Amino acid sequence: MTEQAILQIMDIRKDFSGLEVLTSVNFTVGANERFAVIGPNGAGKTTLFNVISGKFPATSGAVLFKGRDISSQSAYRRARMGMARSFQITNIFQQLSALDNVLAGVRSHQGLRYNLLRRPHHDQRLIELSEAILERIGLQDYRDVPAQELAYGQQRALELGVTLSCDPELILLDEPTAGMSRKETEDAIQMISRVTRDIACVIIEHDMNVVFTLADRISVLHYGVILACGAPDEIRCDQKVKDAYLGEDES
Amino acid sequence: MMPKTKPAYLWAWPLGLALLAALPWILPPYQLRLVTEATIFSLYAVSYNLLLGYAGLLSFGHAMFFGVGAFAAAVVINSMEGVPLFLALAMATALTTLAGLVVGLLLLRVKGTPFALLTLAFNALFYAIAVKWHTVTGGDDGLTVFPSVVNFGLLSLDPGKGPDMYYLTVLVIGLAVAFCCYFTRTAMGQSVLLIRENEERMRFLGYNTNVARLMLFIITGALAGLAGSFYAIFNSFVSLDAISIEMTTKVLLMTFIGGTASFAGPIVGAFFYTYVQDFLSDLTDNWPLIMGTLFILMVLFAPGGLSGLVKSLAARLPGAKDKGSDRDD
Amino acid sequence: MSEIAVFFLHGLAYAGLLFLVSSGLTLVFGMMNVLNFAHASFYMLGAYFALSLLHITGNFWLALIISPLLLMALGMVIERFLLRKVHVLGHVHELLLTFGIAYILHEGVKWIWGTSPQAMAVTGILADTVSLMGITYPVYRLFIFAVSVILGLLMALVLFKTRIGITVRAAVDDSAMVGALGINVPRLFMGVFAVGAALSGLAGVTAGPLLSVFPGMAESILIDAFVVIVVGGMGSLGGAVLASFIIGQLQSFGVILFPEFSLALIYMLMALVLVVKPEGLFGEKQ
Repeated sequence: MTEQAILQIMDIRKDFSGLEVLTSVNFTVGANERFAVIGPNGAGKTTLFNVISGKFPATSGAVLFKGRDISSQSAYRRARMGMARSFQITNIFQQLSALDNVLAGVRSHQGLRYNLLRRPHHDQRLIELSEAILERIGLQDYRDVPAQELAYGQQRALELGVTLSCDPELILLDEPTAGMSRKETEDAIQMISRVTRDIACVIIEHDMNVVFTLADRISVLHYGVILACGAPDEIRCDQKVKDAYLGEDES
Repeated sequence: MMPKTKPAYLWAWPLGLALLAALPWILPPYQLRLVTEATIFSLYAVSYNLLLGYAGLLSFGHAMFFGVGAFAAAVVINSMEGVPLFLALAMATALTTLAGLVVGLLLLRVKGTPFALLTLAFNALFYAIAVKWHTVTGGDDGLTVFPSVVNFGLLSLDPGKGPDMYYLTVLVIGLAVAFCCYFTRTAMGQSVLLIRENEERMRFLGYNTNVARLMLFIITGALAGLAGSFYAIFNSFVSLDAISIEMTTKVLLMTFIGGTASFAGPIVGAFFYTYVQDFLSDLTDNWPLIMGTLFILMVLFAPGGLSGLVKSLAARLPGAKDKGSDRDD
Repeated sequence: MSEIAVFFLHGLAYAGLLFLVSSGLTLVFGMMNVLNFAHASFYMLGAYFALSLLHITGNFWLALIISPLLLMALGMVIERFLLRKVHVLGHVHELLLTFGIAYILHEGVKWIWGTSPQAMAVTGILADTVSLMGITYPVYRLFIFAVSVILGLLMALVLFKTRIGITVRAAVDDSAMVGALGINVPRLFMGVFAVGAALSGLAGVTAGPLLSVFPGMAESILIDAFVVIVVGGMGSLGGAVLASFIIGQLQSFGVILFPEFSLALIYMLMALVLVVKPEGLFGEKQ
């Protein structure tokens, strides 16, 4: 397991000026695995994501990515190493077209970030790679539409597209179906399972249906500690989890 | 997204170039001087707008780079007998680049209002240094500059002569402005735009946004320095005025009166300012009051500046449906 | 020894002026999140108004009272009819507006009063000197310091002991919250802006006889006031007190110790604060 682990979370603790949000979090995500973190509101899920993706450092503990300790690396370095994240509240480039949104990540991955001479829009390869991503998320017909004019479901898809745009080996999805209708959620599940066929994925979700459909393994986060960790069926039967979480949420 | 070559522009290019080349025969010397001056200020304003309009960085210290460029060019030309003009320009620009690096490293630690405040404070510091450093800058007396003749094989241009200076300016400053325009479409230019739009996301896409901002600050500083060098050569003189807060105010007024939302706005502003100043200063000594009032009116009622006004007027005219839609980014 | 005391007193007088100017600047920034580039222009106008009032009435004390009142009115007008209008356009436009106002006031002053420095004479006890522990010292500088201390104490009294002061402090912390509590925030803003303008104007009046009155006086104190609020922390009144004191002393001793580089000292302090604690000594992290 450890040899092919892509992400190892080791004894992560995070407190915000005295308020302890994460007490001790441990888990390991294998290459190609779909791993879910569930837990009630305020359990510290988004904080955990922020620590993993490098928005802020943990108070103690270590994050290992592809076997390397990245605990002190900045967010952009982690992104360059092949880790990408999405946001619970859609966080895309609202004024730009769908194509420009994914182009930002595509050219970052190709090392075309600060070049003073080359124009990304004149680079056929970059455009093709970007269009391929739009096709994967079903927005190929909207390439020139500004993001803010897209429907909500499409914006969420674009959020996923931007996350995929720098060709990551691991993606962190923060409530990818938040605010979606049942139909949109169904589509989103299919899309996520399609795009994560050969990428490892950590997903935070509220919607149990999404989690149990998608995840290979699930961790339950409850007030800063991992309560249980295992295959969906194990979690479903776990008494502690039932008491702490499922009991109050599945009514 | 790919720019389609419009047949209408094909003949406009040679025509425009021919007009630029013919200008010294068409315009009287004084008018030619105004065009040259406005062209120099165009680069100053365009470089400023790369900071303000594209990256959203409000600086009140652009004159420190303009001034460093102006003094550096003067000092190099005066102290190195017979130095080729282009070498002097290159050295002045290099020095401004260095100044941009040092100031940028310090100032870009903060953002927003504190950044704006500090740029003004540093401009004041640069001014104070220029006042005190009498041996280099000439203090209140300023420096006279007599650059050497530029030789292009058969053709030679003397910066001391109006038409020659005009050609030099159009050539070098024109190329620099064209570079700025090109820059907005390069990977770097686009990154700057995207960072203003959503800095957090850019970081999670692997961009070191601090480095991008620093690079932009340095580049725009260097371009302002180039404009400053030309200003010194154009006037055959450089005074403390080139590095003063007034010079910063000037670029703000030009850029903002012209409009920050489009690439051409600051160029419009530079020409407008130069001509209106020329016109008003004959009538009254208090022309800055009129210019300042105009600026405030623009801030209050026409945040898009002159170019924004023209655009919205054009959009209202019947039969001008497409005018507003061909924005280039 | 006595020389050091003299320069220390000089520093105190300038610190007093700086505090009067920067306290309003920092309070307005804390509340409205607007850095008012025209704030030092109020200082300059205060001095010019006093100059004219002195010509008309011949009474310095009258000028000392009326001039700040005029600036208070001007502050109200600027806040109500200009700043509030541009608020919806965002930060950049607010800064540009105040910058434009500063520019116009600068040019306007040159137009009305001319560009050359003008002396402003005080008479009576203020023009005297006094013996303090063996040194002879001009009363006027002590007067400046006394004025700023009295006003500083008055400000502290109002801010910490009265209802309106508590509201102002709450608004500095969180203006949206105060608005939600049913307090008329725009009027509060206008009030603080106007009081800030009056304080700055008062500083200008008291500075007049000391430094003489000239169009560049706004620019020179503006930069120092900026340094004060950067070093002290933007929005912090306590920071303004401490930083004014430090800058005042640095200015004063800098001139004797490093006559050529007294300005550089202040900038070095600012650079140091920026590197070590970018939010300022008393500032909160953004």
